[in-house]
Amino acid sequence: MADRLWFLIPELIVLAGAVMCALAGLSTTAGIRRNVGFIACAFLALACISVPFVYTPERIATADSLLPHIGKYIKFFAALLGILLVMSAGGLMDRKYEHAIAKGKATFSALRTSGGEFHALMLLSIAGVMLICEARDLIWLFLALELVSLPTYVMVAISRWSKVAQEAAMKYFFLGAVSAALMLYGFALLYLATGTFVFTEMVDVFAMQRAEGGIAVVGQTGLLLAIFGLCYKIAAAPMHLYAPDVYQGASAAVTAFLAFIPKTAGMLAIILLCTLVGWEEGLPPVIEMALWVVAVLTMLLGNIGALLQTSTQRMLGYSSIAHSGYMLIGIIAGPPLGIVAVLVYLVIYGATNTSAFATLACLSRDGETVDSLEDISGLHKRSPLAATSLAVSCGSLLGIPPLFGFWGKLLLFAAGIAAGQLMLVLVAAVASAISAWYYLRLIGLSVLSSTTPRSDTVRVALRWPFVAAILSAIIALAGPLVLTNIVADAEQAVSETE
Amino acid sequence: MIETVSILSKLATMPAVPSADVLHAVDLSWAGFILWMPLISLVLCGLCAAFKVKTKAPAVITIICLATSFVLTLFLWNSYTQPETIHLFDWLQIHWEEGSFVANFALYVDSLTLLWMLFVTGLGTLIAVYASEYMEHDVGKGYTRFFAGVSVFLFAMTCLVMGDNLLVLYLGWEGVGFASYWLIGYFYQKPSAVAAAKKAFIVNRIGDVGLALAIYLIWTTFGTVQYDEITTVLQSHSYDTTFGGWTVHAIPYLLMLAAFGKSAQLPLYVWLPDAMEGPTPVSALIHAATMVTAGIYLIIRTYPLFMLDEYALPTVAWVGGLTAFFAATIGMAQYDIKRIMAYSTVSQLGYMFLGLGVVTSYGAAYHVFTHAFFKAVLFLTCGAIMHGFAGQLDLRRLSGLRKMKGWKIVSYTMLVGCLCLAGFPFTSGYFSKDAILAEAFVTQGPGFQFLGWLAIFTAGLTAYYTFRVWFRVCAGPVYFEPGDELHGEDPANFHPHAPRFAINFVLVAIALGALLAALPYFMPNETEHLHGGWIAEMVNDSPASAGVPGNNSVAHAPLVEAHGTIEHNIPHGDILGMDPHKAMYYISGVVGFIGIGIALFLHLFFRSSADTLRSKLLANRATRWLPTAMENKWYVDEVYIALIRSPLWILGKFFSLFDKYIIDGALVNGVASLPRASARWFAPLHNGSLQSYAISMVGGAVLVVLLMLFMPEIVSLLKSMNSQAQNIEQVVRTVGGAQ
Repeated sequence: MADRLWFLIPELIVLAGAVMCALAGLSTTAGIRRNVGFIACAFLALACISVPFVYTPERIATADSLLPHIGKYIKFFAALLGILLVMSAGGLMDRKYEHAIAKGKATFSALRTSGGEFHALMLLSIAGVMLICEARDLIWLFLALELVSLPTYVMVAISRWSKVAQEAAMKYFFLGAVSAALMLYGFALLYLATGTFVFTEMVDVFAMQRAEGGIAVVGQTGLLLAIFGLCYKIAAAPMHLYAPDVYQGASAAVTAFLAFIPKTAGMLAIILLCTLVGWEEGLPPVIEMALWVVAVLTMLLGNIGALLQTSTQRMLGYSSIAHSGYMLIGIIAGPPLGIVAVLVYLVIYGATNTSAFATLACLSRDGETVDSLEDISGLHKRSPLAATSLAVSCGSLLGIPPLFGFWGKLLLFAAGIAAGQLMLVLVAAVASAISAWYYLRLIGLSVLSSTTPRSDTVRVALRWPFVAAILSAIIALAGPLVLTNIVADAEQAVSETE
Repeated sequence: MIETVSILSKLATMPAVPSADVLHAVDLSWAGFILWMPLISLVLCGLCAAFKVKTKAPAVITIICLATSFVLTLFLWNSYTQPETIHLFDWLQIHWEEGSFVANFALYVDSLTLLWMLFVTGLGTLIAVYASEYMEHDVGKGYTRFFAGVSVFLFAMTCLVMGDNLLVLYLGWEGVGFASYWLIGYFYQKPSAVAAAKKAFIVNRIGDVGLALAIYLIWTTFGTVQYDEITTVLQSHSYDTTFGGWTVHAIPYLLMLAAFGKSAQLPLYVWLPDAMEGPTPVSALIHAATMVTAGIYLIIRTYPLFMLDEYALPTVAWVGGLTAFFAATIGMAQYDIKRIMAYSTVSQLGYMFLGLGVVTSYGAAYHVFTHAFFKAVLFLTCGAIMHGFAGQLDLRRLSGLRKMKGWKIVSYTMLVGCLCLAGFPFTSGYFSKDAILAEAFVTQGPGFQFLGWLAIFTAGLTAYYTFRVWFRVCAGPVYFEPGDELHGEDPANFHPHAPRFAINFVLVAIALGALLAALPYFMPNETEHLHGGWIAEMVNDSPASAGVPGNNSVAHAPLVEAHGTIEHNIPHGDILGMDPHKAMYYISGVVGFIGIGIALFLHLFFRSSADTLRSKLLANRATRWLPTAMENKWYVDEVYIALIRSPLWILGKFFSLFDKYIIDGALVNGVASLPRASARWFAPLHNGSLQSYAISMVGGAVLVVLLMLFMPEIVSLLKSMNSQAQNIEQVVRTVGGAQ
């Protein structure tokens, strides 16, 4: 038990950070209150630094979890990208209220601020992702997944003072509950099939069933339902319907968060569940077929849905759906190549997607948030850097060589072809080609078009999201230089023994 | 799959004990800074541009960085013992079951690399010093851009020369092409400069296609792009010319295409004379001394590959020999001294290719080395004149420079350059050119004797046009007209601006270098059986050691013997019954004197007679074509426009219309409307209603689960349906058959 606690040090650091943020957010000193983001970043950085010291080879050798190495990779990058995500939300909360206090028009009231809670929720959600890595049984996994999701519902609701955000939060919450129910039902069926909640024992039972002529139908149904429940977290069809509405309704910084943290959690959980039934002889045909259909539908619906959108956030929301479809190719291809590709892609997607949303988050039109495509038209005239970072991130999402996104897609598609899923990869290639339409439109509008009367007043208003956008655009540009290192880390992460 | 140290484990654990190999590589890893210094200089120049520096800081930065590079090269040369690979970082490593593609960012240091790097970094530094004064009228405007360009160039050139594989070479190859474009188009407000930059870039692309294809074929044939591994594969197949099928015969010609493009040979030389639109230091550095010798470097590096095809090296020899002659004839009739030097560069590069073709890589490398110095000094003096006389370069409008105050150094350093270029006895150009000329008679090959005589005749032409410039510009009575770049000065009251310290210092330094470049010929080498002094030793470690005199006993001998047409050193050829190496001293000396003598007669003693000769030739109907064609550069540009550009333009117009109406109109927009149409169909799915979302979600999941649960039933149902259908079919068939 002590050993297990040792691996939880990064989570504990992040949790401590959450508590600190919640407390600091209520401070009567404005200087502390306004700099909650720094506290959050500092704790995330601390967690990030602690990871290599926690995961020493000797410690990992004593671990009894299913994928003992995966935590090192996921926790490191979740914390690292978490810093960027916190930065993208910098200056988002309580902006007008703090302004009013500074001018003396209002007095501080703990009930009216939410900056501290907001950052605390962010850290809690990130801690949830980290906890998934340490799951040894289904209960832990479920609780960790809910720890990822529950804070995000609140974040969506409080990120904007508008009815759209409230509506989005309501939809997100209710549909999330439905999906959690599906998942939980699946978990129950898995218990029925194996008689245990503990992963290592479940693996043995499934292996025995396999040897005796196939996994019990109850077990397969359970796995299927659980995967469908998780499809909600990664926004894959048919559970993707909420995504466009919610991504549009929430503020851009929260959308960036939604597109990375729950997606990572979902992907991780799917990898864990599939590991339970074992990859060696391939997934059960039914599961593979279901995943295949889900992947194809997700890629096509996501990319086609994005084509006609006029709202940038909604467009990128659809794009986020499509990227889940690409990642499912890696799951279908299986370890080691496919899973490595998924893990690498998660990092690449997280960085580039954050860049795109952070750029949107830093812009403002006369104090209003920027949402329509027209608003970014001719952006290069007013802020060449913001336009460049948007162009770079869209290029990377589209997969233009030599940007980071290209290498991620290359790994995924190569894994798919190596696993004999040529058809799937062809569909993905067609879907990618379709996606060029709207990504290039975004690039063209921001870099080539001229200013319209509406977009003339759009300016870079928030400093920290701007910095986050530039930083993550630099990652999208320079990332390929360390690609081999990331791939090596991902390979280490999925290796079963030292 | 890939053995790399991850960022995570770097943080977590102490550094692992490096293996013996790594320890060895660490010794020379500082050599990477030869490469990084120009890059650092580029970054700093970029910062200068960002902060709008209005001083000479960019020049100082560039000079310091390049000088550091040069000093490091000297150290590397000093510590050099044997060819070595210096690994900088992993670049591209792709492995799969059947093979791999590995191109690391690594340096391959052998003596050939060092020879090239010595003059690249050395001259680069000196020319940057020269440019710091030459470009001073642009301080605060284009000054930073200029030195950033020079830094890019030096970085790319270093990659090209020092890379340990063809991919790094390719990176450098494209990089120098880009730097050349950048700097030719430096005066971007001048339409002719922009046109010249585009021309250089486009013509070079043709060659670059050759290089890209060659690298691809080399990789498919030999399974690697690293020089040492290619050599190993070749040796393990004992230079079998049938190894790899047709590809080994295609590779040398593709490499040739690349080399002829970059080094301005027939038929791709047309860009180099126009490239003189760039600032003169650029012409001296890039378009005379260093970049244009990249083609020669490429061929020397891949020399063993050229031995695999019977006609590859003879082709190189013929192209080189003809280019040398052809460019010299054009150079004779030009009036712009910088253009004369440009054509002279094309011609001298032709000599180097001739040397490579007649299997004297030693002669070619030596000529590259000496040419780098004397051509640089010639260009830099032209630049000084241009700088001082407001852009005047016409040799009819300048005269008697050596008698003018402050122009003595320019005149006499130019004389040194001219003497070397003309091959005046005991100058560096004399020895290096003779090494090539003699070898044309030594090596047996198709028409090599003829090429040898043609090259000797060209040497005479070279001596003539070189001294035509000097006698016209530096000797004779004092006379000058200013050019048109007056910067607001009154043309009637014009005073030439004599060069100051920086320019004079560099001129003297490079002129001394040009003179001293004769010394390597006499310097003793450590390897006993080699002839040709220090340079021979420097080339001997390289893949082109077959072309070093005296080295017919080592590894490459079977290869040379196996050749039907090229029999190098066995038996010794002759020229008019004499040993070519000895006879050439006298022949080329005499030819040089004749050329200089004619120039002396026509352009110093009886200046009017040159014009008389020209008008006589023009007056005579039978000979009129000669001066006209020569002055118009044999109409090559016009022929290219008629033969290549116009048909391409017409074809392009046709394709553009085809693209507009058929591809875009019918196909693309037709296909593209599909996803958009389907997007309209799918749009109602997202109606924003919570209930319908939930029903879709759960319904979808339930549908799949039901499908799965009843899978066996569905499968059997389908099967039974199928068999029923077959039954029906059979019934129908039998009924039909019965009827």
